[in-house]
Amino acid sequence: MEYRIRKGLDLRLAGAPLPMVDALPPSECCYIRPTDYRWLTPKMLVQSGDSVQVGTPLFADKSDERIVVVSPVEGTVCEIIRGEKRVVECIILSVDRNQPTIRKVDFNPPTTPEALRNLLLQYGLWPSMRQRPFSIIARPEDHPKALFIPCFDSAPLAPSYKVLVNEHRDDLLAGLRALRLLVGDKVPIHLCMSHKEDNLFLESLHDVQLQYFTGPHPAGNLGPQIHRISPLDKGDIVWYIQPWNVAQIGRLLSKGELTFNRIFALTGPAIRHPHYYSTTLGMDVSRAFDHNLSEEHARIISGNVLTGADVGDYVTPRFYDAQLTLLPEGGEREILGWLRPNLHKWSFSHTFLAWLVKHHIFNFNTSQHGDQRNFVMTGLYDKVFPYQSILPLELLKACKTHNIELMEDLGIYEVDDEDFALCEVVCPSKMPCQEIIREGLREILNENR
Amino acid sequence: MKLSQLSDKFSTYFEKGKPLHFLSSLYDAIDSFFLTPKTVTKSGSHVRDAVDMKRVMITVMIALLPALCFGIWNVGSQHYIALGESASFWKCVGYGLLKWLPMVVVTYVSGLTIEVIFAQRRGHQVAEGFFVTGFLIPMIMPPDVPLWMVAVATAFSVLFAKEVFGGTGYNFLNPALVARAFVFFAYPSVISGDAVWVSGAPDAVSGATPLALAASGATGQMPSFMEMFVGTVPGCIGETSKIAILIGALILLLTQVASWKIMLTAIFGGWAMAEILFHCGVTPFCGWQHIIMGGFLFGAVFMATDPVTAAHTSAGKYIFGLLVGILAIVIRVANHGYPEGMMLAILVMNVFAPLIDYCVVRVTVKKRKKRLMKNRINL
Repeated sequence: MEYRIRKGLDLRLAGAPLPMVDALPPSECCYIRPTDYRWLTPKMLVQSGDSVQVGTPLFADKSDERIVVVSPVEGTVCEIIRGEKRVVECIILSVDRNQPTIRKVDFNPPTTPEALRNLLLQYGLWPSMRQRPFSIIARPEDHPKALFIPCFDSAPLAPSYKVLVNEHRDDLLAGLRALRLLVGDKVPIHLCMSHKEDNLFLESLHDVQLQYFTGPHPAGNLGPQIHRISPLDKGDIVWYIQPWNVAQIGRLLSKGELTFNRIFALTGPAIRHPHYYSTTLGMDVSRAFDHNLSEEHARIISGNVLTGADVGDYVTPRFYDAQLTLLPEGGEREILGWLRPNLHKWSFSHTFLAWLVKHHIFNFNTSQHGDQRNFVMTGLYDKVFPYQSILPLELLKACKTHNIELMEDLGIYEVDDEDFALCEVVCPSKMPCQEIIREGLREILNENR
Repeated sequence: MKLSQLSDKFSTYFEKGKPLHFLSSLYDAIDSFFLTPKTVTKSGSHVRDAVDMKRVMITVMIALLPALCFGIWNVGSQHYIALGESASFWKCVGYGLLKWLPMVVVTYVSGLTIEVIFAQRRGHQVAEGFFVTGFLIPMIMPPDVPLWMVAVATAFSVLFAKEVFGGTGYNFLNPALVARAFVFFAYPSVISGDAVWVSGAPDAVSGATPLALAASGATGQMPSFMEMFVGTVPGCIGETSKIAILIGALILLLTQVASWKIMLTAIFGGWAMAEILFHCGVTPFCGWQHIIMGGFLFGAVFMATDPVTAAHTSAGKYIFGLLVGILAIVIRVANHGYPEGMMLAILVMNVFAPLIDYCVVRVTVKKRKKRLMKNRINL
């Protein structure tokens, strides 16, 4: 099927990755952050000084201890960093660089969904399966109404999924077969594709649904895709998994190799030569910045500039991200900035003359360009919000007023915070739309539990 | 020393625990007036649009400038015409400025004082909403209104139409119109009748607006529609020149600051209602004539489009605008004691805007559920 997303916005940033992959040598440190997994409360299974190998469980999800996050490397647990209220912020592993990052494992090939599920749980591959609504790790006993595999990303400077999985086509196909076993024959598997990405080898598959999306960002977001194909109501669940994780599952099942090696894109206006690097999950990748920075004061963001997170001291992409974006820090003050015509400043509104300059690549930085105010402008969010029959401003207000019934009526189960990223970008009141939706979703989740 | 360094140095005196902390909101307002804030994003979207509320508000003020400039000249011009004297362009402008400047100063001092006190008490920053409100209030007042009345009306509107509800963004009535309505109901003699619309007019000279003449049946004494379109007629400072208002409308529409849905539907609603009443013989003026008369266009372009007090939903805006237009003409035609209906029409519709939005939300929810049901059946 073909779907056209009409509302949205493509931000034109400098620093798109070139399709070239460099291998990064293993670093000394590997960072595993429980905060990568939404609303997961970790129960620690290791302590400082413990030796770990690829696949050793590091912590489990307190609400379901079968779900474990495992070590992607061989080495020792160097330090467990805790933040406020003793929340585990990061587990720092000291990497044994002489050991390979691929571990051969023996198991009986699973023939039933239960056996496969247990295998994925055992080897720490289950956390890559997430669910909508809420974008949390999927509950193993749930029965999803569909499984989605996003095969492209439309976010600013997004990596090409073709580059990310190109070398593992066989593993990806093996993984898809495994997913079919996992969810059963009746659950549709939707591959969400774009004509811009050449994923022809996927088109030969028979027992999956190929869905094509065109249009500006967020055409690649899963929320609007699910909304078009299989809209969510209260109680509905769909699962989704990134293609490189499917390949990882395929590799384990077809070759008996457990590995967390992956490719990520180093992008952004502060990078001189943006391209791809292959590394292992959690590895410190700051070496990729050597002689590659065009700006000294840059924020390192895991993911894209719309939804990513500042990595702080732990320079590695988050578990679900295949992109690092380096964005120059802003905050410079301009005299009477609100009055100037400002041809060099990007704005979705037409209050700056820059809208007359089409196809211009603007110098973005982290400046907020104003302080937070109450909601004033209306109708603006609708221009970049891709859902049909969901009112973004009303939904945000329902979340702010903790009106659960209204949130449900307005379709909170269909959306995710990332779908409000563009609303947040264009908002003149500088409203933290994503945070408001995230809190709303959390409230609904707590209510439902 | 750079201005930003100077600002950093001074800002330390206004921090919490420092002696000048009680003035921090005021300092912050002045500081962010001269220099853009240095706030950077923390999470979520790391890049943001360059637009902020200050930019939005200044755009509205720029759009108001043509009407204001013409209005200032027109106040002087009408004054000297009433006196029977001929006056140069600059003499008219000078007289107009003498009327407008004190009024705008009083409005801003009175309104901003209350805004700053509330912001300080709440620990907030001063919102920019009053920049436009304070600019609008003198433009919708008669030129000779006593300054203390302007001060009291502004204070009343900021306090009871805005701050008690939580400040800019939470108000449900247009504060500028509340100020006008306050004067209208509390001191009707200064804002109605024939004597108030021409500044300093001698008693023998009638300064009746075209609308007042029309309402009293004296259509023969009315100025031509061309004069009404150009704006060389008695009236509020901002409302007379339709050309200037249309230039403002163009700025608002090009910059996408105001909703074209409200603006156009209000004008359409007014036109359609006037046409109906004209054909029924209730009013001697047809659709376009009604649009050009009085403050209809000013209200439709600058007041009805206030995003906070109008309907928020897209579909709601069409209904809101349409009803504003219809109501304004109905009040204007049906109530001879009150020739201008735009103010009341907008205020009434401000009250009904949440209801319109509620209905639109319920319809959208129903539509969404229907879609879900259809999808379930297809599965």
